[in-house]
Amino acid sequence: MRRVVVTGLGAVSPFGAGVKAYWAGLAAGACAIRPLTLFESDGFRCRIAAEVPELTAGSPRRSRADRLALGAALEAIDDAGLADADRGETALVTGAVGGGMLEAEEWYWARARGEAPPPGAALRAILPGSHAETLGHRLGLGGPRHTVVTACSSGSVALAEAAELIADGVVDVAVAGGVDAMTRMCFMGFNTLKLLDPEPCRPFDKDRRGMSIGEGAAFVVLEAVERARARGARIYAELAGHGMTTDAFHVTAPEPEGEGMARAMRAALAAAGVTAGAVGYINAHGTATPQNDRIEARAIAQVFGEGRVLVSSTKSMIGHTMAAAGGLEAVATVLTLTQELIPPTATLVTPDPEVTFDCVPRVAREAAVECAISNSFGFGGQNVTLLFRRA
Amino acid sequence: MQDRRAVVITGVGVVNAAVVGASPALGAWLARPRAAACVPVGGRPAARLPEATLAGLIDPAEARRLSRVCQLTIAGARVAVAESGIDPARGLGLVVGSELGDFTSTIAFADGYLARGASGLSALLFPNTVMNTMAATTAIAVASRELSLTLNVPGVAGELAVARGAAAVAGGRVDAVLAGGVDEIDPLVAEMLGALGDQPMRGEGATFLVLEAEATARARNAAVLGRIDGVAWRSLSARPWGVGRRAASRAIDAARACAGGAAPGWVYGSASADTALSAWESRVLRAALGADLPAASLGGLLGQHGGLGALRVAAAAWTARSGLLPGDDGAPATRVSGPGLVHGLARGGGHVALMVGAA
Amino acid sequence: MEAKEVFDELKTILVARLKFDPRRAAEVAETTPLPKGVEGSIGLDSLDFIELSIAIEETFGVVLDESEELTAHFASFETLARFIVSRRGAA
Repeated sequence: MRRVVVTGLGAVSPFGAGVKAYWAGLAAGACAIRPLTLFESDGFRCRIAAEVPELTAGSPRRSRADRLALGAALEAIDDAGLADADRGETALVTGAVGGGMLEAEEWYWARARGEAPPPGAALRAILPGSHAETLGHRLGLGGPRHTVVTACSSGSVALAEAAELIADGVVDVAVAGGVDAMTRMCFMGFNTLKLLDPEPCRPFDKDRRGMSIGEGAAFVVLEAVERARARGARIYAELAGHGMTTDAFHVTAPEPEGEGMARAMRAALAAAGVTAGAVGYINAHGTATPQNDRIEARAIAQVFGEGRVLVSSTKSMIGHTMAAAGGLEAVATVLTLTQELIPPTATLVTPDPEVTFDCVPRVAREAAVECAISNSFGFGGQNVTLLFRRA
Repeated sequence: MQDRRAVVITGVGVVNAAVVGASPALGAWLARPRAAACVPVGGRPAARLPEATLAGLIDPAEARRLSRVCQLTIAGARVAVAESGIDPARGLGLVVGSELGDFTSTIAFADGYLARGASGLSALLFPNTVMNTMAATTAIAVASRELSLTLNVPGVAGELAVARGAAAVAGGRVDAVLAGGVDEIDPLVAEMLGALGDQPMRGEGATFLVLEAEATARARNAAVLGRIDGVAWRSLSARPWGVGRRAASRAIDAARACAGGAAPGWVYGSASADTALSAWESRVLRAALGADLPAASLGGLLGQHGGLGALRVAAAAWTARSGLLPGDDGAPATRVSGPGLVHGLARGGGHVALMVGAA
Repeated sequence: MEAKEVFDELKTILVARLKFDPRRAAEVAETTPLPKGVEGSIGLDSLDFIELSIAIEETFGVVLDESEELTAHFASFETLARFIVSRRGAA
C-alpha cells in the first residue's frame, strides 16, 4: 500500500475564511461561540452557536453550505498547486450531513405560511450529496467521486476514504473534506435532546453541560508520497493510518465502555505501524457532553495509558461543526505538527478529575510531537480515528 | 495495482413492491419478471410497498422505534445475513447507499415545530433526520461492528455501495461486508421530484448483498451465489443533474482490468424513462464494449430507488449462473453466457462499473 | 388534576408521541415498569424518556430540570402520575 501525504489545506471556520484566520483563532485560544443570528431561536434553552462571520466564496444563489465548501476546496487546491491537467484524475470525497437544508427550511417555512414558493434551486441542493456535484463540476475533478454521511464523523471518514483510494492505487491525488452550514433541524434537534450548553461548551470540564453547534468547511489535498516528492510539492504531514469502527449500541448514546472508540484508535495505530507511545497529541472529539468526554477519556486511557499524551478539544473554540468537524479538526491536527503548537481547550476552567490527561487548558502549548491523532465519534456510534505523522 | 482478494456473494436480501426474499425468491422473479403494482404518490405512479408487507417483516415492538426507511433497510439486511449464514461477531462491515434518505422523518420533525413550536419537536424523530440513520439502526439490528458507511449520490447509490463494499473486501480491509441500497417513497418528495423534472418512475425498497473474501467463504462452506471480479467508480463530465456528452469511460475499463481484462457478454444498465440519460449511457457502453450487448435495466418494473442498483448486482449473479438475461417490459429472456457488467450512470456524471461472474 | 386523569393522558402520550400501538398502550397498567431491562417493562430507553419528558412538559406544564435526579419517578406510570400531581400542586 502506498503512503499518503497532505499537500494542501483549505478552511472556512467560525474564525473566518482561510486557514490563516482559522489557525490564528485556535492558537490564540479564542472562542467563536456567540448568540445565534441566522434564524430565530426563541423558546430554546440554548441560543448560541459558532457561525461563519461572512461568506466570501461562491455566488449568493448557491446554498450556504455549497459556498462554505467552495471556499475551503478552492483554497486547498490552490495551496497544493494542483495543475488543471491533474484534475481530470483527481478523486473527490465529501463528508456532509445537512446539505442545503438551511435553504430548504426557508422554502418549507414559507410554504407553511401559505406562500407558494416554487421548488427549484433550494430543493435541488438539499441533499448532502449535492456538494460533490457542485465541487466536482466547478473544480473539474474527474476521478472517483462520492459523499459519505456518517453524522459527526463524516469529515474524517471522507479523508479516510480518500486515503484508501490513494493507498490502493486507484488514484494518485484526492480532494477530501467535510462541510455543514447551520440549520434549524440541527439546532432545534440537539436542543430537543437537551445536549446543548446554554453557555459556550466546556470540553473535559467538571461542570460541562453539553455541546455548542458550529458551522464551516475544510478540505485537504491528499497525494501519493512519490508523486508529491516528484513534483516538489510542500508536504505538510503524512496521513499514516486510520481506523473506522461501529458501536452498534444505540442510535444516540455512545457505548459506555468506549470499546468502539478504543478499537478505532488501536486500528489507526496498527495501520500506521506505530505504538501508542509515539503519539504526543490527541485532538479529541470532545463535544463537552457529560457522556462523550467521560467515555472518550476512558477509551484514550485504555489505549494510551493514563496521563502523558496531551489532549485538547478545539470544539471549545468553534463548537461542533458536524460534518465539517472531521475536516476542520484534521487541518488543526496537521498544523499542530507543522507549527509545533497545541491548540488549547479554551473554555476549560475546572478539569474533570475523571479525566487523567493534561487537556491544555486555555492557552496553546508549544510542543514538537512526532505523531498526532484526530478522533471523530459520530451519532449512532460511527467511530473514526486519523493518525498524522510529521513529514 | 496491488494484489486484490477475490470477492464472492454469499447472501442476498430483497424487499420491494414486486419481490421479497433471498436469492431463490429473486431468481423466481427474474425467471418471470412481473412489474410491481403502482399506486399514485404525490401525483405520479410509484411502485410503493404495501404497508401490510412491511408490517409482516418487522416485529411491532421493534417497529415502534424504526422509521419506515429504516424498517426497509433492516428487513433486507436480515434476509441477506440469514441466507449467507455468516456470524457477524467474526467481523462484518456495512455500506448503505441511498438517494433520498429519511425525508418522511425530516418533514414530520419540521411539521412538529411549525405546528406547536419547540414543544412540538420529537426527540425520537431527530436522529432520523441524518442520513446515516439506516446504517446506524441496521448495524444494531445485525450486530455489524466494522466499518459503517452511508453513501449519498444521485442515481447510482446502490451500485456504488456494492462496489465500495467489494473494494473493502478485495483490499483486505475487512473479510465480510453487508452492502446495498435503500430508498422509500414519500408523497411530498415524489411531488417535488416531479416538479423538478425527474422522469424515471420511482420505486422503493432495500436490496442487500453479503460480500466476502472467497477464501473465508469457502473455509466456512458458505454457498457462493456469484463473484464480483472487478469494480470501479469515476465521474463523467456533466453539469450537476445534467447529461454529459463524452462517452469515454474509465470506470468500465478499470473494472474490466481488475477482472483480468474479461469481456462482458451482457449488461445490467441504468436505462429508464429518462431518454437523454439512457441515450448517453448507450453511447458510453458502445464506446467501451465495441457493440450493443444484450442489456436489461429492471427500472421500468421496479422503479428507481437505491435498492435497485444493488438488486442489479444480485440479478447479474443469477444471470451468470442461469445464462438468462430477463427481458424488460414482458419481452422473453435472452440466452447469454460468461461474465457480465453492471453499469450505473447518473445525471451529473456519477459512474459505476462492476464485473460479475458465476461462482 | 387527579392521578387518574394524568394516567389517561400518559397513555395518550404513549400512542401519540412514543408510537405505541393503541391496543398495547391500553394494556399498560399503573404499575407496569417503564424502563428497558426491567422484567415485564414496556422497554423505554433513554431517548424514549427524553421524548416523554418533552410531552410531560407540554401536556402538564410541569418543567423537568435535568440536573435533578428524576429516575425514580419514571419507574412506572403510578410513580410518574404522583410526581406530576405533586409538581402541579406546588406550582
